[in-house]
Amino acid sequence: MQNPKLPHSQKLFRALVRVLPFDFRTNYEGEMEGVFREQHREAEERGGFLEALRLWKETIVGIFATAPQEHWQILVGDCGYAFRMMRKNLWFTAVAILTLALGIGANTAIFSVVHAVLLRPLPYPQGHQLVFLRQQAKKLGIEDMQFSVQEILDYRAQNRTLSGLVEYHDMSFTLFGHGDPERVRTGVVSANYFDLFGVKALLGRTLLPDDDRPGAPPVLLLSYEYWKNNFGSDPAIVGKTFELNDKVHTVVGVLPPVPQYPNENDVYMPTSACPFRSNKTHVESRDMRMMEVFGRLKPGLTIEQASADFSAIAAGLKSAYPKSYPDDIGFTSVASPLQEELTHTARPTLLLLLAAAAFVLLIACANVANLTLARMARRERELAVRSALGAGRSRLLRQLLTESLLLACAGGLLGLLLAYSSLTLITDFVGRLTPRAREIHIDSQVLLFTLIAAVGTSIVFGTLSALLSRTNLSSSLKDGSSGAGLGRRHNRMRSTLIVCQIAFSFMLLIGAGLMVRSLIKLQQVDAGIVPQRVLAMRTNFNWAKYTGPETTEVVVQKLLERVKSEPGVLSAAVSSRYPFEPEIITGGPESVSFSFQIEGRALEAGQAPPVSTFASVSPDYFTTLGIPLKAGRLLADTDKSKAPDVVVINESARRKYWPNEDPIGKRVSGDGGEHWVSVVGVVGDVREFGLDRTPPPEFYGAQAQNAQPATLIVRTAAEPRSMARAITQAVHDVDSQTAVTHVLTLEQARYESMASPRVTASLLGTFAGLALVIATAGIGGIMALMVSQRVREIGIRIALGARPASILRMVLRQGMLLAGLGVAMGAAGAFVLTGLVKSLLFEVPPTDILTFSAVGAMLLSAAALASYLPARRASAIDPTEALRAD
Amino acid sequence: MPKKREAESFLPLTPAMFHILLALADGEKHGYAILKEVARRTDDKVRLSAGTLYGNLSRLESSGLIAESNRRPEIVLDDERRRYYLLTEFGREVAVAEAERMQEALGQARAKHLFRKEKLA
Repeated sequence: MQNPKLPHSQKLFRALVRVLPFDFRTNYEGEMEGVFREQHREAEERGGFLEALRLWKETIVGIFATAPQEHWQILVGDCGYAFRMMRKNLWFTAVAILTLALGIGANTAIFSVVHAVLLRPLPYPQGHQLVFLRQQAKKLGIEDMQFSVQEILDYRAQNRTLSGLVEYHDMSFTLFGHGDPERVRTGVVSANYFDLFGVKALLGRTLLPDDDRPGAPPVLLLSYEYWKNNFGSDPAIVGKTFELNDKVHTVVGVLPPVPQYPNENDVYMPTSACPFRSNKTHVESRDMRMMEVFGRLKPGLTIEQASADFSAIAAGLKSAYPKSYPDDIGFTSVASPLQEELTHTARPTLLLLLAAAAFVLLIACANVANLTLARMARRERELAVRSALGAGRSRLLRQLLTESLLLACAGGLLGLLLAYSSLTLITDFVGRLTPRAREIHIDSQVLLFTLIAAVGTSIVFGTLSALLSRTNLSSSLKDGSSGAGLGRRHNRMRSTLIVCQIAFSFMLLIGAGLMVRSLIKLQQVDAGIVPQRVLAMRTNFNWAKYTGPETTEVVVQKLLERVKSEPGVLSAAVSSRYPFEPEIITGGPESVSFSFQIEGRALEAGQAPPVSTFASVSPDYFTTLGIPLKAGRLLADTDKSKAPDVVVINESARRKYWPNEDPIGKRVSGDGGEHWVSVVGVVGDVREFGLDRTPPPEFYGAQAQNAQPATLIVRTAAEPRSMARAITQAVHDVDSQTAVTHVLTLEQARYESMASPRVTASLLGTFAGLALVIATAGIGGIMALMVSQRVREIGIRIALGARPASILRMVLRQGMLLAGLGVAMGAAGAFVLTGLVKSLLFEVPPTDILTFSAVGAMLLSAAALASYLPARRASAIDPTEALRAD
Repeated sequence: MPKKREAESFLPLTPAMFHILLALADGEKHGYAILKEVARRTDDKVRLSAGTLYGNLSRLESSGLIAESNRRPEIVLDDERRRYYLLTEFGREVAVAEAERMQEALGQARAKHLFRKEKLA
């Protein structure tokens, strides 16, 4: 109460004293005021204004020095009290800590991912300046057509926005000179590649401009992991030599343990050392595109300026070389931040999971608040006694907040442990979405997040329970029983919390349900092949040995004959790729697409040329994979390098490019009419780029007439994995220098292709399961509490003739009412929110009736089960016992 | 009861605490009287503010070095808002222990001829 006639000095003193804790003020405020009044009067008498000023200074210093000590003492006391209370209610403490740990742990784990992948800058100096460049043929739907050597030279010479521009592509080579021939993933890069990224060598040096000169002695740079795992961190590795592609390469350095973008490689070499990249035709061609290009923005320039710069250069190239950039394929080039490029596939999934984790925490909060309220009902007397003994409202609030803070901190600590132990699993999962996954770890900022989550959580449920202590507690002292009025108020609050929990759980379950439905649909998709008992593997021939189509033809023929002679092999084929191969799942159809022209069909102005994916396959490819012939013939052994060029198309290509005519015998050209290829057959569509992708138009060229094969595909009579060793041996019989890697059954490849939706569904499912358990336990708990509070009332009802069955129904009805309300609210929320996950679903509408009804039924039956136990207890109440009690 | 050791566990006392105990040595006093006495005895060198005084009183009281007195002065002299504090037996032990500690330190300073002129002779 503020006295208006109080002198200003006194008012100011009262305001100042408020920094002291409540207990202290209750004890000493009056006296302190008296002392200050006397001191003030005396000071004014003695020295007037200056003396008074001196007194104020001393008073302020005194109070601010005393306040922290007093607060600390109270905190110590409160913590001690809270610990005693927690020990006394071990069951409550354990459940609350576990619930909070699950909520906080889920959030910490997902936040550590979001932080590492989406929020943290790239781990390179001025990482925000790094850009990824793309040439696009928009009208053909090609987002990234990659770069040719000539194009890279043009962009490097003409751009005005980048301080550096480097190229990258990766290949696998066989390395000799270190035990068995070994397949190494090799990054082929410009000499200034590592300078551009700002990476310095750990040992030796990185690449120098001289290394990139045509004819320079071949050099190698080892990645940290490769050096560590394969050479035992040999400090004397620099200067050692290895044989690759029939040339001796010298190791010049080892990279530090930095994340490698865009892909992880074992070794790096300059462009001049790569036999493909340094090949004369390749260097001179504008149309042989296989490189990725990165750049660094000049200081102060924006990504928009770089994009404008590059699209202007693209326009210039288009008018200078009309043959390479046909009109109206929508050719342009754009720059995007490297960070965005590395994370855009992961973003929607991660944000969805973060939202789901936040929901789990909210549910956990509601649940612990509910538990606290239930405990408050039992502690009302204690709190009322403390209140009667002089503890004010804010004092009790402080005590309750201390208790909840301790619970939340314990929950946070346990949650952190949970998050920490799930990190490997999560990193593995996120690794399928972004190369930044290896940066995931629990650092100071994640710890800070956990702390904030714990403190925020404690404030939410601590305040909820403390708010209830606002009720006049003295009433519960007078009231002999457990405070009927307050009890009702608590129950309303608890019911609201339960409804919210059910609603949030419903939304989470819907999210998980939709993902699971989508996954099931995906699994049921007919891929267009028979994947059972098919083994695929990379056969990395040392192609430098086999120059010219004839020698290749001979060795491929020998290989296939040798493999087919193996007992248990039904058929075998070689190809440039195979369905669900991890690289093409990541790269998508664009990575193997080309544009072509159809004989006798001129393009109209503004019309984009036809585009198709391409694979070169040996004749038995179709029978080995079980791809059906629809028209014409399959490829045959007679389609050799010297025979007329032929191609087999899929049904999508027929539908798209020859909708009303027979494509057999039609001719197409992929090089502007220099060579023509005849269509000889039509085969069924294969969903090889992912089960969720509509098969694009596809051309299968005869292997003998096209690129050297990269994979071997074998159909076996028995379990295919059991044949892997024999088949590898067969390959080595043909050429002992061939490394056989990536041995995989097609079923495995198919399964792996669904890894991302499967893991999203399982993580979301885990969160939803947690939510379901917490909410069900919550509903059971509150019904049990309500029953125990109403023992007398129920006893009277039974004494007055109510039948146990009707009591059972009454309690069940109450539980189901709460659950029903929660489900209705959750359904409304889910209708609004599921639109956000639409992009992650496959052939399942976001408002899928089946999912909604199944989840509703599941939640309601869980609620019914949870309410049934307390309901049965209620119906079994003995009226005489109930009335005698209390 | 290891009283001695317990008293020593409070040492060294802060100057404010020691002076408050000293002020109560010759009888019970209320807060303002303590403050005045300390100022007078130290020639205004130790000036306690309200916050420092009651912070110390609170700590001394909770450790049992002082206690609130039940005796009140005559009605005419009494201000009912005032509380009177007295030095407990334990408080006296602590104050004595502190004084002995200081004396010992002073003795050592003398033995080392720290003072050029024996001011306190």
